[in-house]
Amino acid sequence: MILFKQSHSGAQVDTIKDRKEASAWQKSYDSKAPKPGDLAPDFEVRDIQGEHPIRLSDFKGNTPVALIFGSFT
Amino acid sequence: MNGTVSLLDLYQRYNKQVQFVKVYIREAHPVDGWWFGKGIMNFLLRLSKSKVSWNIYDPKTIEERRAAAGDCEESLQYGIKTYVDEMDDLVNKAYAAWPTRLYLINKEGIVVYAGGLGPFGFKPAALKRAIHSYLAKE
Repeated sequence: MILFKQSHSGAQVDTIKDRKEASAWQKSYDSKAPKPGDLAPDFEVRDIQGEHPIRLSDFKGNTPVALIFGSFT
Repeated sequence: MNGTVSLLDLYQRYNKQVQFVKVYIREAHPVDGWWFGKGIMNFLLRLSKSKVSWNIYDPKTIEERRAAAGDCEESLQYGIKTYVDEMDDLVNKAYAAWPTRLYLINKEGIVVYAGGLGPFGFKPAALKRAIHSYLAKE
């Protein structure tokens, strides 16, 4: 089951400008982040060409998954 | 540095037993945002010889975001295939992932390790211990 589906065309959220905005963003979402023992929210993402979509649930029953989130800066 | 664990180390050691998925999310410190490309932070980060970029503007379209993700993948060379969060940041929000975060999900889809928020909570060594512990129980 996929818990949410992405729009593939959603609008850009405003750029975080400083520490205060960063803290506010993290405060908004951190408490909702999955904890050990929780079902990991399913998602679909595509590669850097916008192709080859994968879902986290594709790996269910087969292999554990290390999720690495980050950017270039 | 002695004792330091990198993502490249983890990938090379465990990629046959663990699926590594890198999800590129919104930029942490773009030029037009909370930029670290000036002042003392710039000085300290350059001293660290970090491979991160200081010349990225916050992508405004999914095409720009994919291009930045490609540049990131090429520069950092973790060996881990990069996937890209969409512009609505849904994956980022669901995992409270910004600016960086690590998770380990078991075969049943349950979280077995949830790292802290980066940069201070971004600890590949802790992920390594979690992977080792999980695989030992298999």
